[in-house]
Amino acid sequence: MELAEFKLSVDRWLDEHAAELEPEFEGIGTLDEQMAQLRKIMRLGYDAGFTRWGWPGRVGGLGGSNLLRAYLGEALTARDLVEPGNFSMPEVLAPTMIDFAPAELAASMVPRLLSGDEIWCQGFSEPGTGSNLGSLACRATKDGDGWRVNGQKVWTSLAQYAQRCVLLTRTGTPESAHRGITAFFIDMDSAGITVRPIETMHGVPEFSEVFYDDVFVPDERILGRVDGGWAVAMDLLPYERSTALWHRTRYLQRRLEQLVSLAPAGALDPASLGEAIGQVWALRARSRATQRRLAAGETLGAETSIDKVLLATAEQAVFDLAAEGLGPAVALGDDPESGRWRAEFLYSRAATIYGGSAEIQRNIIARRLLDLGADR
Amino acid sequence: MDAAERALFADTIRQLTVQHSGDELDAALDGLGWSEALAVDRPIAVTALFEAVGEANATSSALDKVLCSTLTPSESDTVAVALPPIRTCDAPARIDGSQVTVRGLGTRALRRHDTVVIVASEQNGHTSFVVPTSALKRESARGLDPELRLVEVTGSLERGALAGGAVVDWSAAVTAGQLALGHELVGAARTMLELARVHALERMQFGRPIASFQAVRHRLAESLVAIEAAAALLAAAWDEQDPVIAAMAKAVAGRSARTVARHSQQVLAGIGFTTEHTFHHYFRRIVVLDQLLGASSELTRRLGNDALATGSLPATFPL
Repeated sequence: MELAEFKLSVDRWLDEHAAELEPEFEGIGTLDEQMAQLRKIMRLGYDAGFTRWGWPGRVGGLGGSNLLRAYLGEALTARDLVEPGNFSMPEVLAPTMIDFAPAELAASMVPRLLSGDEIWCQGFSEPGTGSNLGSLACRATKDGDGWRVNGQKVWTSLAQYAQRCVLLTRTGTPESAHRGITAFFIDMDSAGITVRPIETMHGVPEFSEVFYDDVFVPDERILGRVDGGWAVAMDLLPYERSTALWHRTRYLQRRLEQLVSLAPAGALDPASLGEAIGQVWALRARSRATQRRLAAGETLGAETSIDKVLLATAEQAVFDLAAEGLGPAVALGDDPESGRWRAEFLYSRAATIYGGSAEIQRNIIARRLLDLGADR
Repeated sequence: MDAAERALFADTIRQLTVQHSGDELDAALDGLGWSEALAVDRPIAVTALFEAVGEANATSSALDKVLCSTLTPSESDTVAVALPPIRTCDAPARIDGSQVTVRGLGTRALRRHDTVVIVASEQNGHTSFVVPTSALKRESARGLDPELRLVEVTGSLERGALAGGAVVDWSAAVTAGQLALGHELVGAARTMLELARVHALERMQFGRPIASFQAVRHRLAESLVAIEAAAALLAAAWDEQDPVIAAMAKAVAGRSARTVARHSQQVLAGIGFTTEHTFHHYFRRIVVLDQLLGASSELTRRLGNDALATGSLPATFPL
């Protein structure tokens, strides 16, 4: 299917089913409500074929370029039907399965993700392993025709909702660093997994601590090869900064539009507003170029760190402005809409932290794009 | 032009801008047929030349040709075009009854030609006149960047005595000029960053290159982010053909160049503060270019004010 045709059918579908697709809550909703809404949209979208376009046929997709996925997420975000971060989860995890899972596993699992039947999570960070992913310690040891996993992960988004997890473990010696990591596709209902949600500053238990206590995972759940998990992680990260990021640009644009229409006269400084518009529009331009490179078959790499820095900067600029223009609502308001502005303002503080901090992105840019050599 | 031809064209232009500047570059561009390329494929001609001119810190009369090609296409090779007063993008003249009052800027092209195209605003639009340069008061404005050879032009002229009088689309000319200047700013910023990058790799302190210090690396990374943001917005602006987006792209390019200048100069440190290093030429250039056809601070505030006045934001970029 061509993009122009896809746009028309998506827009028509969204118009015709507007009432059915609408969330049942006001404001930002609870995370439970958001997840129920996400599953509903994924289910309806899957049945109508839309969440299948842009994915290859061997994992239950209908084919076509990544631009179709980019447009679907953008259209849903523009109409405020999904929270873009949660909606974009397949953008990060499905490509990993397609590239690294045994073919049969990918074919049976990816459709469950695209249909909203399942939520997946990503077990990368640990209490002692934030930016330095190569130092992770959660250990997998060989046991018969599988592996035993012991250790702890943290910041695992949506773990309490997830049926599966893409998990990075240490299979080499502690000194093996990035050479001794293995990725698994693990069932979250396996014996020995404990999930403890953590409430964030914006009042949402978005991520969890996850404890792995002698959890068994069979050999056929290895993604890539043993000790080859670094390649899985490195392959996944640019996806986090491409299509998922495009969806988020539309969200920022929509919130900025709403801010302009809601802010009382005189509450927004024109110069700051103009600067935020420039940042969001530059981000859109950059991210669109990235979507087009991906569609042309290019492999994404370190240059997507530029997209991520632009996103984080723009997101904070938009919500800093919201905290000015809607200051009373953000500071004092107890109605659902004020609560939403406040939650999103608070969440924007994390934009320079999650998905590779602002500092890590700049390190990547310095090392890989500017060729400045080692940093010590 | 296909991709290979475009690359060859850009490469040829880049070599010319490295070897020549000013009148020599104008002659070399005439030899290459740049004006013809401008007529055939404006985005490619403008992007290739202005980025290269910015990178090389060269000067040319190309901005006048870009403006002229949108105002009076038939005369684009023969005349200069008056720019708005510094920091604004208002037409450089206005019509009051029978009088045309001129207050604007001329580039180096104005010094080379006997006539200049001057666009004047009136109640319902814009009109262009072809004015003998001798009819204007011309004051050299060497200022911060003497190489640009800018001239302040003023005058009060009898409308009836002026040639021309065609109705023109001043906004289209401003858009064309803003995109060109945006690319020149990006080109200059790329060279400033490269000067700082090379310096950081060569300059040893505490027994290691200063490029190994994170404070230095992050300044340079920040500079690349600023450049790529501006470059992406400029590329998108060509697709949109929307005066609001072009002005935004020029504003972002101006701010980006200022950001890159600040970080690059800090990394270059002492040597970058001297005339023995080439950096100062780029710094002078970007500060002045940022203020031609609308200063970034003015354009940014106007963007915000327009959004507040209309309650809506500019058109978004479709996939």
